[in-house]
Amino acid sequence: MKPELEQGSNSTPPVKKRTFVEWFKNRWSNDPLFSILIALIIMVILQTLTLGFDYDSFGEWFQAWSNNWLNILRNNAGIGIVALGMTFVIMTGGIDLAVGSTLVITGAFSMYLLDTGAQGILGAVGITGVPAIILTVILVMAFGYLLGSLIGVTVTKGMVPPFIATLGAMMIFRSVTQHFAQGYNTTVPTEFLQISSFKIGNYMIMPIIYWIIIAAILYYVSKRTTFGRQIIAVGSNEKAAKLSGVNVDKVKLRVYALMGLLVSIAAIIQVSRIGSMDFSNAGRGMEMDAIAAAVVGGTNMLGGRGFILGTVYGMLIIAVMNNLLNLFGVPPFLREAFKGIIVIVAVLLQRKEKNA
Amino acid sequence: MKIEMNNIRKSFGSNDVIKDVSFSVEGGEITALLGENGAGKSTLMNILGGVLQADTGSIVIDGKEVHFKTPAESLEAGIAFIHQELNLINDLPIYENMFLGREIKTKYGSLDLKKMYDQTAEMFERMNVDLDPNKMVGDLDASYKQIVEICRAMMTNASIIIMDEPTTSLTDSEIERVFKMMKTMQEHNVGIIFISHKLNEVMQICNRYLVLRDGNLVSRGNVSDVTTKDLASYMVGYDVRTESLRRHKETDEIGEEVLRVEGLTNDHHFRDISFSIKAGEIVGVTGLLGDGRSELFQAIFGANKYISGKVFFNGKEVKVKSTWQAIKEGIAYLPRNRKENGIVKDMDIFENASIVTWPMFSKHGVINTEKHRQKFDEQRNALRLKMGAMTDNITSLSGGNQQKVVLSKWLAANPRLLILDNPTQGVDVGAKEDIYDIIIKLAEENIAVVVLSSEAQEIIRVCDRSLVMYHGAIQGEVKDEEMNEHTIMNLATGGEKDVERSEHQI
Repeated sequence: MKPELEQGSNSTPPVKKRTFVEWFKNRWSNDPLFSILIALIIMVILQTLTLGFDYDSFGEWFQAWSNNWLNILRNNAGIGIVALGMTFVIMTGGIDLAVGSTLVITGAFSMYLLDTGAQGILGAVGITGVPAIILTVILVMAFGYLLGSLIGVTVTKGMVPPFIATLGAMMIFRSVTQHFAQGYNTTVPTEFLQISSFKIGNYMIMPIIYWIIIAAILYYVSKRTTFGRQIIAVGSNEKAAKLSGVNVDKVKLRVYALMGLLVSIAAIIQVSRIGSMDFSNAGRGMEMDAIAAAVVGGTNMLGGRGFILGTVYGMLIIAVMNNLLNLFGVPPFLREAFKGIIVIVAVLLQRKEKNA
Repeated sequence: MKIEMNNIRKSFGSNDVIKDVSFSVEGGEITALLGENGAGKSTLMNILGGVLQADTGSIVIDGKEVHFKTPAESLEAGIAFIHQELNLINDLPIYENMFLGREIKTKYGSLDLKKMYDQTAEMFERMNVDLDPNKMVGDLDASYKQIVEICRAMMTNASIIIMDEPTTSLTDSEIERVFKMMKTMQEHNVGIIFISHKLNEVMQICNRYLVLRDGNLVSRGNVSDVTTKDLASYMVGYDVRTESLRRHKETDEIGEEVLRVEGLTNDHHFRDISFSIKAGEIVGVTGLLGDGRSELFQAIFGANKYISGKVFFNGKEVKVKSTWQAIKEGIAYLPRNRKENGIVKDMDIFENASIVTWPMFSKHGVINTEKHRQKFDEQRNALRLKMGAMTDNITSLSGGNQQKVVLSKWLAANPRLLILDNPTQGVDVGAKEDIYDIIIKLAEENIAVVVLSSEAQEIIRVCDRSLVMYHGAIQGEVKDEEMNEHTIMNLATGGEKDVERSEHQI
């Protein structure tokens, strides 16, 4: 048996001072997120070196460095939020392939509500300006929640395997969107764009702030709430969870509904950043990126184990790597291969001593 | 064939699991390997089976030293290990299972099904097994699966077969079938190492015994020279009580009715069940495996459906549709098969102990950890739970302590009715007695306790009275002097209460 690991008591000084190597080894084998964090730090250092550290003109260098970082974070905020929901879904032992299509259908819905042209529903009933924006955000999020709930009901009451239920939803949502939004040419009111492009100081960081807030909330949910802990119980041993009074169906349903809600937030961010959405291409492959981030972050595909913080790290690792490949000038078609390698290596690293 | 294991030592990290153990087994003998959970039985057998390697010591077969690096090498040397979780593929027929990993191929490289079938049939004939090799393994009951495993071991010309708790999930008649099979093997001069917790079975089938305690071989000898009580005390290192714990309660001493069931029926598992249980009573429900008692009480707990009949809880009729509703009503159900139904292995000890009460001890969905901690600290002492840190994984505990954690999650919910389904399954002797003490203490605290068990001895020692089920119906109720193995067995096999009440013999 291993020596006990003190948890959450950093304040008590250890009797014997441990060397850094011992501390590192201990962490490496006991803290599942540690290796992920190390990997992330290494990649950030690599990226920083690649950008060329210039001591003489530190100010300019820092400007370029932070701009690059804000860009990375902004570009990945939407998918980062989706990956957080995906973590919960995977932790219950499920999967959601429909996120990309949910993104498109909720995005289209927001444009349908808001269009400044003749087609905008809210405009037609006389709601404009800020009330229209607020109403749109609420309605789109409700719509996302509803679509997620529909998937959840199919999975729980219909007992359709999540892979199949969400595969079907993936096809349906995109197809329906493409049909009804065919040649749909909208302009979104400029106030709506403020959701993403509002500047704090000189920085356009709203999407990043949303990401951080949602990650913080979900972190708390996963650690401290009944819902969060029941997710682990359901994913790890559904039978035992049910026999312990956990409402397994309700937990699963809420997880898919939450997923839909988070995707709709990502859709609002995307539409408000770009002002439009390409219904046939937006969100394609999003499910795979979200799953990859979760898996790199230590989430067990079989359910049970998963870490919100890990998924944030995982998302950042993938994002930094994309950035690095960009800086190195790796041809676009090859980049996916690197992503694939990262996912596999990450899982290999996590396969340390696992006692059955 | 004779196998000697000499001066075997094995440690995992700083934990010495096997400390200098030497013994030998011979063909034609059935040797019981006994010990509490964590005594080192599995480690020792895994070394013999080639799954693990010893740190020091040697294995000698017929005077020749051998070194097993893989299970395949051990098998090659004639040692077959039948694990508790059987290695059979349910969706393949018996004869293909018999050749898993060693398939016979035709000269074109395809499977030679005919030859495999014939050899299987031949083996069954030799071992007096009445089975159709064409049958799907998934259609077999647990004992026949065990028998298929044994025949497969025989197929590899094994001369020593290690059987790890083969009877745990078998009914009495199935156990008889497996024992008959073991006797046949003995006649074929095969040696068997029989790992079991059931001392009565050891007395019945084994010639010799080995007892491990904390990695040491503490006793060995001929089974005919000892009693089950001796064996139990060797295992735990002190005298184990075997006396009856049954209380003698007068009718006016017990409390109000807690549960009444009228005509409860479910299509497949039980029919027309009526009984009632009062507060402070300990009621046993026994019978053979498959008698429907688990399904019946799962239905009362809301985990299973019933189609007709009524359930009254505390005098008012309830329709329990879900487990969380049952918990709110004050019903608790400790399930059988702890590994599958009881523990959540991705969670630590503390979380496993608080899973039931999360919704109760929470505000706006945020769990009150402090309250759980207080409850758990109380329980921990009351249950004599042996554990490291609360944040250790549940799987770091022995079976008995795991069971206590599962029990503690129910006690935290303050149930009025506690249903215990096979509470001492896979639990060692010491923890078993602890659990009996807890059951009696809870009843004294006016909780209605139901103990489901197929071990008649357990029922007789602990319960005030017992219902005996047969094929989904209550065959009879026993109490006082009627509560003996003989009467219970009679009822459990569909017979009537015996008029002459003859004393049961061991």
